[in-house]
Amino acid sequence: MNDLNFFQFVASRSDELIGLTVQHVQITGLAVLLAILLGVPVGILISKNKKVRSPILGIANVFQTIPSLALFGLIIPLLGTGYVPSVFVLFLYALLPIIKNTFIGINSVDEAIIDAGRGMGMTSKQILTKVEIPLALPVIMGGIRISTVINIGTATIAALIGAGGLGEMIFKGISMASNNMVLAGAVPTALLAISVDKLLGMFETKLTPEGITSQKDNQV
Amino acid sequence: MIELVNITKSYDGKTNVIENLNLHIDKGEIVVLIGESGCGKTTTLRMMNRLNDPTSGTIMIKGEDYTKISKIELRRQLGYVIQKVGLMPHLTVGKNIEMIPELKGWDKKKRKDRAYELLELVDLPPEDYYDRYPHELSGGQQQRIGVARALAVNPDIILMDEPFSALDPITREQLQKELLKLQDELGKTIVFVTHDMDEALKIGDRIAVMKDGKILQYDTPEEILKNPANEFVEYFVGKDRLWKSPEMLNANDIMHKSLVTVGQKRSPAQVIEVMKKKDMELLFIVEKETSKPQPPIGYITRKNLKEQEDHKVKMSEICNKDFISVHQNANMVDVLKIMEENEIRYLPVLDDDKNLIGMITTASILNIITKAVAVKEEENK
Repeated sequence: MNDLNFFQFVASRSDELIGLTVQHVQITGLAVLLAILLGVPVGILISKNKKVRSPILGIANVFQTIPSLALFGLIIPLLGTGYVPSVFVLFLYALLPIIKNTFIGINSVDEAIIDAGRGMGMTSKQILTKVEIPLALPVIMGGIRISTVINIGTATIAALIGAGGLGEMIFKGISMASNNMVLAGAVPTALLAISVDKLLGMFETKLTPEGITSQKDNQV
Repeated sequence: MIELVNITKSYDGKTNVIENLNLHIDKGEIVVLIGESGCGKTTTLRMMNRLNDPTSGTIMIKGEDYTKISKIELRRQLGYVIQKVGLMPHLTVGKNIEMIPELKGWDKKKRKDRAYELLELVDLPPEDYYDRYPHELSGGQQQRIGVARALAVNPDIILMDEPFSALDPITREQLQKELLKLQDELGKTIVFVTHDMDEALKIGDRIAVMKDGKILQYDTPEEILKNPANEFVEYFVGKDRLWKSPEMLNANDIMHKSLVTVGQKRSPAQVIEVMKKKDMELLFIVEKETSKPQPPIGYITRKNLKEQEDHKVKMSEICNKDFISVHQNANMVDVLKIMEENEIRYLPVLDDDKNLIGMITTASILNIITKAVAVKEEENK
């Protein structure tokens, strides 16, 4: 097998690689999606409610600091192995950047704009949906981007607890001392991360309201 | 229109930011709240649209206790303009103006028509500005949009919190003028907070000078200038302010009040005698010599009298009946203009009933200037 070069190896295993990539995308995608569903509302909540701010950010920080390898290990007694615990751990990892960025995005909206809105007679909900969220959207999107890119990398470790994905190829490669195999897992992972980052970047630009985009252009 | 009764406000429950404040604002008035920072002027304003709630006391708007309607409803009835403008950066100028109309459910055409009308009103051609974004505009233009936005749903009352303070002096002056023009057209009731006395004097119908949460004096600009209620008001207004604003000084303030007149039946010899005694070159003739103000008939000069050969003639027959006079409320700028254009040194001042109540002479104007110089010197020490 060592006679094959990398490209030949990839070509010979293309079906398997595509399958693993799809699996990889599924795991990270679901984890990030869940993290958005929880993280954005929590981020908004802590921007409004100072009391819960530091405990929530504290907890989210803790999950971020535990080494991912350890966290995958720790989850086994609780949720076992396979798809569900993997997604759960990745979800925990994705949470902090999303919560933090949502909080920062909402919190950094100019106080004068909120004051004007309130003084004109907008309700808190209208201020949130018509002013704060649109203005914070680029920052929130930035958080989602960071989470996703980190998660694509971390998801390779999830293969350890049987989640599948490109990590499987890497670990197999390590145990078989096959560089080609390790690379066949690592290179698509890196490419996936880069392309998803680009894609989300484009999405971020698209979501940025026009009035703010041109403002940034002017500042350059 | 707006009535604040015994308002007290405390943020921490210990110290009162506003203490037992009463304020009555009439319809169509521009009332300026002025004071140093921390005097409670902004808090007072923000209580009017319930961005702050008073700790005790009642506020009536259009004769009704304003807690009877919801905060949101109340705020939509009051325009609000702030120093930092606070335009939504992600929305176009048009959408900014249409924000509240949209929330109120106006249809698209009505909203757009209104935005166009308002842009027109604040002198920004709608075709050019409707689709622009706030950051593309200058500070002055942004604040014009701020004013247009406040007018969007046509509120009777507009609250303005230092709206022009962040602008450069030239733009500020321009916007002040436009605000007055706008006020002439629309007749809104405006409550205006500022720390700038020049601005207050320029735009206020009435000015409330505030300190430590209390109103020290609530009066017309003229009264504040001429009769400051206490030392703080005087200090805050600036002692030389009156002399710096000649348009605030009127004939009434400049004229000699101890008036020398002669009755119409006096003879030339008698009048010459009076002139010598009082050292005057010219005297005004009235019907009778009483202390009661009465209309002037004409004037006579020493030269007229010397040329007079008939010693029995009455003043009413020989006096010059063609003379220029000013109303007592004419301001100093006008007075000086009249005196210069007509090359006269005596200008009679009349009240509403055309009675002679005083005389402006070059000496009385000199007096005013001397006073101003004295105040300046005192300040320089």
